[in-house]
Amino acid sequence: MSDDVVDVLIIGAGASGAAVAWSLADTRMNVLCLEQGDWMNPMAYPGTRLDWEMAQFGDFAFSPNVRKRRDDYPVNDADSPIAASMFNAVGGSTILYAAHFPRFRPGDFRTRTLDGVADDWPLDYRTLEPWYDVNARMMGVSGLAGDPAYPPKEVPLPPVALGKLGETLARGFNRLGWHWWPSDSAIATHDWEGRAACTNAGTCLVGCAQGAKASTDVTYWPVALRHGVKLRTRCRVREITVDANGMADGVVYYDAEGTEHRQGAHVVVVACNGIGTPRLLLNSRSSRFPDGLANRSGQVGRNLMFHPYGMVTGVFDEPLEGHKGPTGCCIMSQEFYETDRARGFVRGYSFEILRGFGPVFTALWGMGAGRLPWGPDHHRAYGELFDRTAGMVAICEDLPDPENRVTLDPALTDADGIPAPKITYRLSDNSKAMLAHAMARGKEVLEASGARATVAEAPLPFAGWHLMGTCRMGTDPETSVVNEWGRSHDVRNLFIVDGSIFVTAAAVNPTNTIQALALYVADRMKQNLANLFD
Amino acid sequence: MNDQQQRTLSSILDAIIPPSDDGRFPGAGALGLVAHIAAAIERAPELGLTIEPGLAAAEELARADRGRAFAELSGAQRQSVLQALDAAQPGFLPTLTFHAYAGYYQHPRVIEALGMEPRPPHPHGYAMEPNDLSLLDLVRRRATLYRAG
Repeated sequence: MSDDVVDVLIIGAGASGAAVAWSLADTRMNVLCLEQGDWMNPMAYPGTRLDWEMAQFGDFAFSPNVRKRRDDYPVNDADSPIAASMFNAVGGSTILYAAHFPRFRPGDFRTRTLDGVADDWPLDYRTLEPWYDVNARMMGVSGLAGDPAYPPKEVPLPPVALGKLGETLARGFNRLGWHWWPSDSAIATHDWEGRAACTNAGTCLVGCAQGAKASTDVTYWPVALRHGVKLRTRCRVREITVDANGMADGVVYYDAEGTEHRQGAHVVVVACNGIGTPRLLLNSRSSRFPDGLANRSGQVGRNLMFHPYGMVTGVFDEPLEGHKGPTGCCIMSQEFYETDRARGFVRGYSFEILRGFGPVFTALWGMGAGRLPWGPDHHRAYGELFDRTAGMVAICEDLPDPENRVTLDPALTDADGIPAPKITYRLSDNSKAMLAHAMARGKEVLEASGARATVAEAPLPFAGWHLMGTCRMGTDPETSVVNEWGRSHDVRNLFIVDGSIFVTAAAVNPTNTIQALALYVADRMKQNLANLFD
Repeated sequence: MNDQQQRTLSSILDAIIPPSDDGRFPGAGALGLVAHIAAAIERAPELGLTIEPGLAAAEELARADRGRAFAELSGAQRQSVLQALDAAQPGFLPTLTFHAYAGYYQHPRVIEALGMEPRPPHPHGYAMEPNDLSLLDLVRRRATLYRAG
């Protein structure tokens, strides 16, 4: 048993936990983070091997149900057309993410006011703006200033290489007069703060052996540890405990050998992602909180948002050198971002241009798309696909629906016997209409770029990369889980800092906003230290 | 797999990915992908429950239709038997093809034949041309696209 009470206990060492740990380090408080995963060894990432592409079907798969690492917990996703994706390690899901790093736009925080849907956030873009700037420097964001789709913003590093593929697609967008811009990317395009520059290896989604991609094990954590934060790995928290006054007083966790420990804390910060956080709170039942900790509103686990994705792949006549460059970062378009009700849906989507397929994925995609026969015609058909595909995805704003939710599975558990999460999720009619629009527009721009054939798929069943909304923030304790600075309405020394506190999802990748929000919450904690629990 | 199964598998792999007419690309069986498939079965034994009955069925069909072992059939006869097999055992050929493609297109000899260096992406990565940001001139002329919060 480890009964030394720490000042602040952070649960989860991913995108948000790392940012909070770094921010709180300068308080000189005794800060401890418990992480169920371990440190990754970048030199063992699949990109160092010839068989790297197939790692996505094995121990570097998006889904924990496929990976089945000891550090993973299963997710019952049978009742969802989209499977949840996450990674458990120091760095969390930033180990596998694409590092596409856009900010939310000002209007994203005001969907009720602007469009009459969902709810406004209890804070605005201006509030987060300085924290986006801090995060840009800490993560090393590359991009290009001057995008008319955004207010002026700080971009410390020049944009990633667009390559022949990116410029081919850019010309297509120009032919249609549609917006596009080099993607904001959490990828060091020059050497940056001890990280080596991107080499365009194209292996981002199975871990960046170069260290150019900003996973938090190579950004926030080294600094936080130097500044005195303690990080204990292979520690899986079962529940947060409360004292007689209903305040959080620590956690019970299992170490790598499965031995149970208790860790006391004066403040608990939950940073376990939009599925792991509600799972932990729902597992933290007590006589005072019989429906789960911080759940008097009944909102814990509700309003799960994923961002429905659709993908369009174009086949071109000319080589595109698509195996070169960051996998998910090239150019993006927000031509269809804002609401135009004539399109048959509210809110909108972004397009993100991906790279082409490597040798193995060319074959497997061709097989799945019915474009690559086995037998005598195989080599001719493969030659028409290899280095001649360009992918693009539409990332659609997912509106909150209380029936889309995370609950505890009655039977499924992780290796330590802790009840696993179950997700229940339906695509809304709005999302379906948006996906249909996006697939048609995606084909249009690929054809304008010179594609001789296109293949669309929506929704992408494996693309539950973004986990949001399941402990939403708000000013009303009846309808939200945390207040406008991340503190639980019900438990005043409990904070949540991951994507679960999002009120809406916007139509961009969430990690930059998750971290800006975490930095903002940490700053508010520091500003209010004297009366943190009032 | 016993020797007979390995011979059958190698012949089927050569039928799935035959050598290219120009000689640049080897057949998947000749490339030695039997070992790749065997390793895949070792990692995921349930795969063997699809592959091994499929191999047996291929031999049965070859002997019933042609009176010879699958490996002794001509290229056209092998295609014909595999098409019949695909109808009789729908899971076998897609599963084997998936693993055959994965093994084939990560093999150094094939990667080299594709015109790439036969090496992992890391550490050398790939050189890329500087960006042509003049392509943005049209976009830069557009008005603000976002709504104020």
